[in-house]
Amino acid sequence: MTLVLGFLIGCVFGAILFLGGASSYRRIIGTLLLKDMWIMKLMMTAMGVGTLGIYLLDLGNLANLSIKPAYIWGVAIGGAIFGIGWALSGYCPGTCVVGSSEGKTDAIFTLVGALVGAFIFSLAYPALEATVLAPANLGSISLVSVLGITGIWIAIPFSALLLFLAFFVLKDRYE
Amino acid sequence: MKDGIISWKAAGVALGLLLIVATYLVKPLGVSTQFVVSDAAIAHKINPEFAENNTYLKKYGEKEDWGVGYGWMLVFGMLVGGGITARIFASKQPEADKGSMPALWKAQFGPSRLKRNLACFGGGVLLLFGARLAGGCTSGHMISGISQMAISSFIFGAVTFAVAIMTAKFLYRNRGI
Repeated sequence: MTLVLGFLIGCVFGAILFLGGASSYRRIIGTLLLKDMWIMKLMMTAMGVGTLGIYLLDLGNLANLSIKPAYIWGVAIGGAIFGIGWALSGYCPGTCVVGSSEGKTDAIFTLVGALVGAFIFSLAYPALEATVLAPANLGSISLVSVLGITGIWIAIPFSALLLFLAFFVLKDRYE
Repeated sequence: MKDGIISWKAAGVALGLLLIVATYLVKPLGVSTQFVVSDAAIAHKINPEFAENNTYLKKYGEKEDWGVGYGWMLVFGMLVGGGITARIFASKQPEADKGSMPALWKAQFGPSRLKRNLACFGGGVLLLFGARLAGGCTSGHMISGISQMAISSFIFGAVTFAVAIMTAKFLYRNRGI
C-alpha cells in the first residue's frame, strides 16, 4: 500500500515540477543570477504553505516529522558541492528526473552523473564518516526544539514571512 | 518572464499541499537517498559481495530487499507523472523551456552538445556527492527541511544558494548579467 502511495505522490510531485517550470534551465539559472525569481518564489510559497500545514498537523500529533541531523561540516561542505553542481547543470536531483522524463538529454546526463556521484560517495563514506560527518553533530534539532515552544507559534510568523517575501518583496529584474 | 504552463503561485501552493499530505500519510518528500538505493540495487545485481561489504550501500538494502520501497516508488512516480504531464501539455510549454540545449547556455558556451552533456554529467556527480554528504537535496533539505524549520536545512539552504549564485555569476561573468 505505501508503495502505491509513494508512486501516486511521486506522480503529482513530478507533474507539479514540470507544470511549474522547475525543470527549465532558464528558470533555474535566472534565479541563480538573481534575474528571474520564479523558482525562488515557487519554493518560498511551497515552504510557506508547507510550514503552516505541517505544524498544524503537529498540533494533533499527526505529522510524521523527519528532522535531519545538523552535523555542521558535512551539511555545509555538502551544500557547497551541491551548489556548484546545481549551477553547472541547471538541475537538482528531483528536477533532473523530471527533465529526463521530458526526454531532455542534458537531464539524462545529469541523472547518470548523479548515480555515479552517489556511488563515489559510498566509496568515500568510511573516510568521511570519522572526519566530516561525526564531529560537530548537534543532532536532529529544529527552530522549534531550540526555542522550546509549541511549533505552530513559530510556524505562523515564519510562514507569513516566506509568503510575504514571495508575493511582495522578490521582484524580477530584467535588463 | 511571465510565461509558464501554470504560475509559480499555483505550483508553489500545490507543492506545499502535497508536502502536507505526504507528511501526514507517510513522511516529508525526499529524492536524493533514492540514488543510493538505486546504486545499491545495481551493485547487488552485479557484485553482491562488494555491495554487502560497502558500509554505505549496505545501509540502503538488506539481503532480500535491495531497492524498491516507498521512497524509490516516489521517484519512479516522478518519472512517470512528469513524463505523462510533459506529453499532455507539450503544446503549452513555453518554447524557451523545451529541448536539451538551453538558449542561455548556447549563447555562452557554444552549440556543442558534448560540452553541455559533459558539464551536466559532472554537475550530476557533484549534486549527489554533495547531497549525500549533507544528507538531502532541494526536496528533502530545502522544501521539506525548511518547512520543518530544521537547523541543518537552514544551513544547507543558505550555503547551497550562496555557492550556486556565485557559481552561476562566475559562469556568466562576461555577459553583464
